Amino acid sequence: MQQRARATASGLKPSSSRAAVQAHGAGRFAGGSAAPRSKARRNTRTAAHKAGARPGQAGRVKRAKGAGPALSSGRRAAAAKRGKRPAVLLRRRRVKRAAAMPRISSAAYQAGYRAGREDGLRVSLEHEPFRIKALNRHWMARTQAQQRGGLSWRQFNEASKGYVHGYFRARKQVPPPWVLLPTDKSVAAIVSVRNEEKTIGSVVRQLNRLPLDEVYVIVNGSTDRSFQQVRERSQACVLSFPEALGHDVGRAMGAKLAQADILLFLDGDIVIPAEALIPFIGAVDRGADLALNDIGPYLNPFAKQDQVTHMKQFLNASLGRHDLGANSLTAVPHALSRKAVETLGLPNLMVPPKAQALAVHRGLRITAPGSVNVIRGNKRRRENTGRNNQVADLIIGDHVEALKLAGDLAGERLAFVDALRQREQTGGEG
Amino acid sequence: MRILNKNHSALLRAPTSKVSVIIPVMNERKTLAAVLREVKKLKPLEIIVVANGSTDGSAAIASKSGAKVLTFDQPLGHDVGRSIGARHAAGEILLFLDGDMVIPAAQLRPYLRAVERGVDVALNRYNGKLSRSTVHPVVLAKHALNTVLGRPDLKGASLTTIPHAMSRQAAQTIGFEQLAVPPKAQAIAIQHRLKVKAVHLIQVGKLNPVRRREKGADPLGNLIVGDHLEAINWYAKATNDRGLRSDLSRNRHIVR
Repeated sequence: MQQRARATASGLKPSSSRAAVQAHGAGRFAGGSAAPRSKARRNTRTAAHKAGARPGQAGRVKRAKGAGPALSSGRRAAAAKRGKRPAVLLRRRRVKRAAAMPRISSAAYQAGYRAGREDGLRVSLEHEPFRIKALNRHWMARTQAQQRGGLSWRQFNEASKGYVHGYFRARKQVPPPWVLLPTDKSVAAIVSVRNEEKTIGSVVRQLNRLPLDEVYVIVNGSTDRSFQQVRERSQACVLSFPEALGHDVGRAMGAKLAQADILLFLDGDIVIPAEALIPFIGAVDRGADLALNDIGPYLNPFAKQDQVTHMKQFLNASLGRHDLGANSLTAVPHALSRKAVETLGLPNLMVPPKAQALAVHRGLRITAPGSVNVIRGNKRRRENTGRNNQVADLIIGDHVEALKLAGDLAGERLAFVDALRQREQTGGEG
Repeated sequence: MRILNKNHSALLRAPTSKVSVIIPVMNERKTLAAVLREVKKLKPLEIIVVANGSTDGSAAIASKSGAKVLTFDQPLGHDVGRSIGARHAAGEILLFLDGDMVIPAAQLRPYLRAVERGVDVALNRYNGKLSRSTVHPVVLAKHALNTVLGRPDLKGASLTTIPHAMSRQAAQTIGFEQLAVPPKAQAIAIQHRLKVKAVHLIQVGKLNPVRRREKGADPLGNLIVGDHLEAINWYAKATNDRGLRSDLSRNRHIVR
């Protein structure tokens, strides 16, 4: 019980995430005496680090194998298959792994740690109403002073983690699992939820790790406990609609409500570690208007891709942005600048490919700064699998609408003009 | 078993004497004679060579071999020759080829057979190179168009690709002038519920001469991508903005 309380105190709720499980395991391993307690604390930290190391890969082509919730769920499944007794064995193995993990020792982490320590000795957050935001301000002051613009997002996350650890260690407190942002601007997160009680809790828990100014959760057409799951865990502004709003309408609603400079869009069915969201927020901070999820690393060979992926690529190629591959505003996570929201307008945000076409037409800056594998994590529903895939139908329709809009704006051939054909020779009016 | 029977009955049917073969030619002296030689094995009703902008004597080669030659001093631009040739054709089946690609007669027969058996537009089952995750924009465009038209089963099969055959009836339904922009013709054909089918595979990618692609700029590729955009736009106008696709329960009026 004591261990449980400790894990909770460090901000790792004992119920789900792998980090929490490892913290548990570490506690168990440590026993109850004074010396092992510090060891336990260290393990708690390493566990948190491991959970966090994953998103640092964002932007890279290949991701570390065996990282993330998929593995954890795989293990759970394996344990379930084996029955009761092996579950104990499994737990032992976890303890071993957690204990064998190396201490974080990257240069970025250490630099962050030193900075955090200095600030920890210097300033207090006690009187702050919004402690994580306040710490983020100190952190930004640090990064700006030291001009750490050249850091990769992975390094940034390591440094910010080190900073948080250093700060709280200096104040002789257990560091919370906070993830700091690479921006001073205000950030809003918008989450659309429809019958996603199993995942939404974890999604919200990850958002709670970030210094977000606004969080909107749009629960619609839900007949399960999605709403309660959010309400129990979050200070977010939760909007609940008994009827389904339809695809991507929740996003537009969130965009209407949000006042922030940077808007981050998520879905309730895909749990993304807070660290993995940093590149999207950071890219908008650095001037991008649309920061899309780079799904390039997860694409199958063309012949095995679905129709929707083909349409996404064709839309980008048609818009002269072949470089964007199949990256699409349809996919989460993505972030928009306030300028993008205002330029594109809410009706277009409801049809993401249309917004993307308009963004290119209006010269907004589009990048794909991070990679999150949403293909694997996407919840399988009756309407998005199989032969009569209604969602695919909808998204293809969205792309037709986008191409139609692009054609109306820039001519039906867009930039691909036909200057060679002597069409009058065909004898038709065409 | 059934397939065998079908083929058999097709072979027993009247010979393919009602075929018009349409070959646009622009300075393709090197290959034209061989192309014509293979085509003649099909015993077509007529061979229509649309020589445009040719200065190398291609037209002379064609007329010497007995083809009907339509000559234009200026290049007509891509695929315009097909449209003109089709308009002049008298046969019941139109077979479209290029002057620069020699395809054995035996490989051409499946297209004619398919049209004889009731297919309106018989396409080459060629999809392009698909082994990588990203493909050439032209290949992408072909797949995307078929998807939009609700015919993902056609994959990358396209009227842009030769060889292909269609009934004269189909060409009339589509409109001869539309054949100059093949993807648009494909959209029209499918929209008019013509029977469009990918019937036989010829690896034109391997036969395609390298000279077609210049380094760096890809004017032909851009033209074809534009054609597909034109086709999708036509389709969106002929149907609706979403190409008749569902909007599911999207409540667009709840926020503005």
